[in-house]
Amino acid sequence: MKSMFSIREGGAASWALRLVAAAIVTAAVLWIPTSTGAGSIQTAIEALVLMSAAMSLNILLGYTGQISIGHSAFLGMGAYTTGILVSSYGWSPWLTFPVAFILSFTLGVIVSFPASRIKGVYLALVTLSLALVFPQVVTWKKLSWLTGGGSGLPTKDAVIADTGFNIGAEARGQMQFFKIFGWDPFGDLRKPDNKAAFWYWIAIGVVVIVYLVARGMVKSRVGRSMVAIRDNETAAAVMGVNVVRTKALVFGISAGLCALPGCVTAIKTGGVSPEGIQSITVRGAITFLIVMVVGGAGSLWGPIVGGAVYVFVTDKTGAWSDDDSIPALLRPLFGWAKVPPSDGIFAILLIVLMFVAPRGLVGVWRQYSPRVVRVIPRPAGAVGPATMATVAMSTTDSEGEHE
Amino acid sequence: MELFFQRLVDGLSQGSVYSLIALGLVIIYRGTGHLNFAQGEMALFSAYCVYQFGEWGIPIWPALGLGMIVGFVLGAVAEVTLVRPISKKSPFAVFVVTLGLFTFLNWLDGAIWGNQQLPNSGVGSKQQRYPSLFPNDPDDVWQPFGVAIRIERVGIFVLVLVITALLFLLFNKTKFGLAMRAVASNTESAKLAGIRTNTVLMVSWGLAAAIGAVGGVVMAGLNSNVNLGLMFTVFIYGSAAATLGGFDSPGGAVLGGLIIGVIENMASGYAQEWIGQDMKLSVAFVVILTVLLVKPSGLFGTAKVERV
Repeated sequence: MKSMFSIREGGAASWALRLVAAAIVTAAVLWIPTSTGAGSIQTAIEALVLMSAAMSLNILLGYTGQISIGHSAFLGMGAYTTGILVSSYGWSPWLTFPVAFILSFTLGVIVSFPASRIKGVYLALVTLSLALVFPQVVTWKKLSWLTGGGSGLPTKDAVIADTGFNIGAEARGQMQFFKIFGWDPFGDLRKPDNKAAFWYWIAIGVVVIVYLVARGMVKSRVGRSMVAIRDNETAAAVMGVNVVRTKALVFGISAGLCALPGCVTAIKTGGVSPEGIQSITVRGAITFLIVMVVGGAGSLWGPIVGGAVYVFVTDKTGAWSDDDSIPALLRPLFGWAKVPPSDGIFAILLIVLMFVAPRGLVGVWRQYSPRVVRVIPRPAGAVGPATMATVAMSTTDSEGEHE
Repeated sequence: MELFFQRLVDGLSQGSVYSLIALGLVIIYRGTGHLNFAQGEMALFSAYCVYQFGEWGIPIWPALGLGMIVGFVLGAVAEVTLVRPISKKSPFAVFVVTLGLFTFLNWLDGAIWGNQQLPNSGVGSKQQRYPSLFPNDPDDVWQPFGVAIRIERVGIFVLVLVITALLFLLFNKTKFGLAMRAVASNTESAKLAGIRTNTVLMVSWGLAAAIGAVGGVVMAGLNSNVNLGLMFTVFIYGSAAATLGGFDSPGGAVLGGLIIGVIENMASGYAQEWIGQDMKLSVAFVVILTVLLVKPSGLFGTAKVERV
């Protein structure tokens, strides 16, 4: 393929490009909480939650090939863990994150054992029914002492209901300031803007953690086992990959990571119930899948791109069931519909992408960006001139290095 | 004892709906080896159409016929335009496309008919309740041996038996049925023997969606209205039925549906404290998981041998 520029990975131009990309991402991340109101910060938090959930699903589905439509249950585990520990036992919300990870990790490992026998669409069926059963279990009247039944949490303390799990609170009162070694970056947390910004940074933290764990897994030996299982499970087993153990680990970590955005959602919403948090229901699980596939299954940045696009479109078209809010140009296209068009748009996008670009938006970018700038990858293991002989052979191998 | 019989009949009529959805799943699975996640939503679309025909003053039975035609066309078009081209790529692609179809149809129902339940006097419905296929006034009760059984429930059960019998005749006594069985057992050989496999697959999908349409209409009738979430759980019960009966056995699917319907009703009736209405779905979950772990081919399915 002809390209306008051709640069070498690790060279000055390549580093400059990386710096520019990093600067753009950092600028976007910083711009949202400082220059926009509480409303758009809340929307951004939604996007961040979707990103982390889709990233955790991506580890399991995109890299290991295990279909799950049940990740809403893992997210629900996280949300309920935070909800129960904070509102019934008065824990600090910070401590609930690791607990939620461990509980959800355990549930994931348990699910992985039948999953090592159940394959393909049957696994999709099992996880789909898990997603449908989970809301029934948490609203079950036998468990209402723990989960608050149909009305959800919090049930006991009205103060908590007002303040949204008053994150980081000392004692049960509302936390007013959040200080790091005397530095107070957010100001008075009782103002909605400051509070939203505070939650926003927590959500960013979760996205970063999930991204780093996913990256660490994918680039390691486990990651290669995962891809081997995805591409041909029997062959992977023959080659010495411990399929059962790898699947258990991947299921566990994927489930555990998916619980973290659940904790964020619980804190942001200030309450936990299947009606209040849609991501706990099966619709949430389908949304994660859409976000992941639209962004790009099996790529680290895919879910991030997908989450941003999904929430942007959903937010912009959210009021379109009312004809007057549709831009005049698009009114004949969407005016007839009685509900906002975003679900339909993404369903069509999902189907079309499967035909033209099965690796999602990131896949499209990877396919066409080399026409402008082509990064010649560094040959694997090449450090000094002694290995120059291998350069010619391995320049064709451009997979993997770009992840 | 009377309660037992009532629960049995309720379970059988409820299970009939699951049988219809399961039959659709099985017909598609036999033809192409795919699990159609949009089966329930295709049925829901037809159920909404039947509601619309009712609004236009068409009696229920002709409306059901039209709804089945709508379902048939929907299924056939989905197979030709989406599933057939994508199935060359990968099973995962097929899964995503059927899931996309699921989301799209659910959105389309909402876009056309709105997201409240129908019939609904608030949006100007002429009908009082969703049309029922059989008489269902409070006094339409049949009383054999002193047990009061609603005629609607018996009618639904009989309807499913009739559909099953017709399908049996189609599969076993017609040339087209022979072609369908040939495609199910070996597509390549069937093609070499001169069977138009593409037509067979198209008709299979159409047939599956048409049978699903009956299931959707019956379900909406039992529920006395139709809403966007109606078929989510029915689809899970239907797939549980297909899993239990074996994914390649139509008879197994019908029996599986009836068994699941009865278990579900008995469990929620006799274990009201523990299961009741709220935890009914766990029955389907447990059945799917147990069958897949213990006997993945189901009660009547053929076991698959895996080759590398």
